[in-house]
Amino acid sequence: MQRPVWAPDEIDIERPSVARMYDYYLGGSHNFAVDRAAAQAMVAAVPEAPLMAQANRAFLRRAVQFLLDAGVRQFLDVGSGIPTVGNVHEIAQRDAPDARVVYVDVDPVAVAHSREILEGNDRAVVVQEDLRHPERIVAHPDVRRLLDFDQPIAVMIVAVLHFVPDDDRPAELLRTLREALTPGSYLVLSQASGDGRGDDERADAERVYRRTDNPLWIRSRSELTVLFDGFELVDPGVVWVPQWRPESPDSAEDAERAAFIGGVGRLGG
Amino acid sequence: MGEPSGATTVAPTGTTVRHPSRPGTEIFARAWAKAVSGTSYLPMTLAQLEALLQRLTEQLATALLAEPIDLRVGHRVGTELVAAHIASAEGLGRTVEVVQLRLARDLGLVDEEVEDRLARLLAAVTTGYARALRDRTLDEQETIRRAAMTARAEAERALRSSEARFRHQATHDPLTDLPNRTLLTERLSAAIDSPTRGAARLGVCFLDLDRFKVVNDSHGHQVGDGLLVAMADRLRRSLDGHLVARLGGDEFVVLVEDTTGTDDVVAVAEAALAAVREPVLVDGHELSVSASIGIVEREVAGTSPGDLMRAADSTLHWAKAAGGARWALYDADRDRRDLARYALSAAIPTALERGEFYLDFQPLTSLRDGRVLGMEALVRWRHPELGVLRPDSFIGLAEETGLIVPLGGWVLAEACRQAESWAVGGGPAPFVSVNLAVRQVRRAALVQEVRALLRHTGLSPERLQLEITESTMMSTAEESVRTLRMLADLGVRIAIDDFGTGYCNLAYLRDLPVTELKVAGQFVAGLRAPEARADERILASLVSLAHALDLTVTAEGVETAGQAERLRAIGCDAGQGWHFGRPDSAERILARLR
Repeated sequence: MQRPVWAPDEIDIERPSVARMYDYYLGGSHNFAVDRAAAQAMVAAVPEAPLMAQANRAFLRRAVQFLLDAGVRQFLDVGSGIPTVGNVHEIAQRDAPDARVVYVDVDPVAVAHSREILEGNDRAVVVQEDLRHPERIVAHPDVRRLLDFDQPIAVMIVAVLHFVPDDDRPAELLRTLREALTPGSYLVLSQASGDGRGDDERADAERVYRRTDNPLWIRSRSELTVLFDGFELVDPGVVWVPQWRPESPDSAEDAERAAFIGGVGRLGG
Repeated sequence: MGEPSGATTVAPTGTTVRHPSRPGTEIFARAWAKAVSGTSYLPMTLAQLEALLQRLTEQLATALLAEPIDLRVGHRVGTELVAAHIASAEGLGRTVEVVQLRLARDLGLVDEEVEDRLARLLAAVTTGYARALRDRTLDEQETIRRAAMTARAEAERALRSSEARFRHQATHDPLTDLPNRTLLTERLSAAIDSPTRGAARLGVCFLDLDRFKVVNDSHGHQVGDGLLVAMADRLRRSLDGHLVARLGGDEFVVLVEDTTGTDDVVAVAEAALAAVREPVLVDGHELSVSASIGIVEREVAGTSPGDLMRAADSTLHWAKAAGGARWALYDADRDRRDLARYALSAAIPTALERGEFYLDFQPLTSLRDGRVLGMEALVRWRHPELGVLRPDSFIGLAEETGLIVPLGGWVLAEACRQAESWAVGGGPAPFVSVNLAVRQVRRAALVQEVRALLRHTGLSPERLQLEITESTMMSTAEESVRTLRMLADLGVRIAIDDFGTGYCNLAYLRDLPVTELKVAGQFVAGLRAPEARADERILASLVSLAHALDLTVTAEGVETAGQAERLRAIGCDAGQGWHFGRPDSAERILARLR
């Protein structure tokens, strides 16, 4: 039956959630059998999936550290998922207690979970919204309450863009976000890449994610680079995530196994 | 800072831990860090990981050397590993491996007992680790389930509130936010279908503002809407406890449940009228309005929302017809009569087709010589169920519904057809007099039709008289005046019917080609009483006025010889009424004359 337009989304935990699958890759237990089944299918298709998630999470940590060092104290994490181990506010507020963090996710369970984790933290909040409606994100009262758009903000869209197909016009979504930002703000992007992977592997991975509400849309390095339009990429540009400012040279070995590409851009002017 | 034999490092948790510089611990901690890195996501840098594991190594070393061995340290180390997110199966495996292989060696322990002690310590570490991991897993499962439940509850709440919002929109009027017809019908049905104990009766007030259209026309719709909103608020406030619905336009309905009798609903209606009556300021305009209310109060049993609303609607029209600013109470007999009238008017077209109408005639007799000058056509309806109906029972309906046009057309044609063959021995044949309704006069095609009719029947124009009432004249537009003039030009006689009962604007007598005045029967009725001088004087004046204008005068309703005599004495030209003959078929009247 077609749901009437006025009806809010229902909660379907019979369907795997990409946020909870990601939690599973990271070794968390914030997931249900249906998520684990899908995640295991993904691991069968792409055995490095957990490694990819870890590498991406490590990239997130290094990026937040870099942004803190650059003086950024405001973070807008869009598509934050299940904010378990090593989430942005933990990293940021450990070193900079005044850092303010807004999480945004479309998954109502992830949002409810985030809300519980953030209870009592008056410098971090979660908002239920979709990256596909950036105008609603930047206008959301909670976002406006916590973040000062006259000061630099780091917009983090980490391990999310591969759920935004070109039909959803990611460049326009990012432009809307960019136009809300002041110079000195940053954009952090990372997503799954098919570079160097076989067609079978890609097809298998895509098949797994068709079980979720978020089919997979992988991009090449050049395609992701284009999405930094309007930002100046900081060194080393868009790379395999382990290669992005690694802590030690050997941690960047076999970087392409991580299958995630990412980068950080700064809004000049 | 620190002791000579120690150093300080900052652990990931931010606490400062002193540790003795036991040889070998740093080497082991680095090996340990290398072993576990990559087994799970670690939210810390390699240096932080090494510092953490250095501290845990110190604790393990201390425990290993203590006498007796303190296994609680092993538990604690296992728990801390999990807490630091070194919490995967691989992480545990690598830890066991590296401790087993290297710890004793790196610490330079060669004691024979050390192997036993290490085994016991490792057992404690894995036990503590497994327990902590299990607890963490259970906690996380609980958290995510709680989150799912919360999300679901929120979604349901949102659904309910959006459903409630949707339901509200579907059942309320957007302008006034009063319940709409849908909700009223629901509530009515509920009250009727499942009356609460003892609630055997209910009532409704059907309220309509008087002359609301005038407000809209003179002040604009915005002020009209403002007035409706103000009235809605007042009704809501003053009729607290009763459902007040807006059906649309300026129609409101109050549902009065659980009544004990008519008085309950009348009280509500009076409160509503009082609430409406107070002047109201809308957009700077002070408006005074009134309302009419139709009240129905009856037993729940045997009624239906449709019945109730229809009855209330009819009753409202009675209140309106009585001048508004009042309530009217439903009257079943009157309603039945109304319904019968309605049914009758609906049957007119079929009756025309089936030929159920026929004409009787009443003579217009000369008061001078008793000759029949003309005969007025009177339509009759031979109704298959009701018998013969006189015009007063259906002409009014036909005029209201517009059916007077076809019916009047039929009467005119039939009258002309019959009149053509009338002949009385010797003298000129009488003319036929036919009533025209205002709607007929207003039709542009009337002249054409009359001309065709005369040609078709062969009736000469001067033998046709068209009667129009004074009020028809008054309400007739310029165009109709032209129509009448054209008819007169054809040679048709024009009579003013019921003269003296309308506005009596004499100006039209000057402007119109009128040939005759028919004086209403009520003046003639007064002639019965010997002392009724006023009527006689009025009649005398009318007659002299008419004669001064070259018009003839026929008096209607002449019932007695006395009246006829006095009219003759006044100089009245002709009389019509029972005294001269009751309405009858043309043949019989003519036969009597021969």
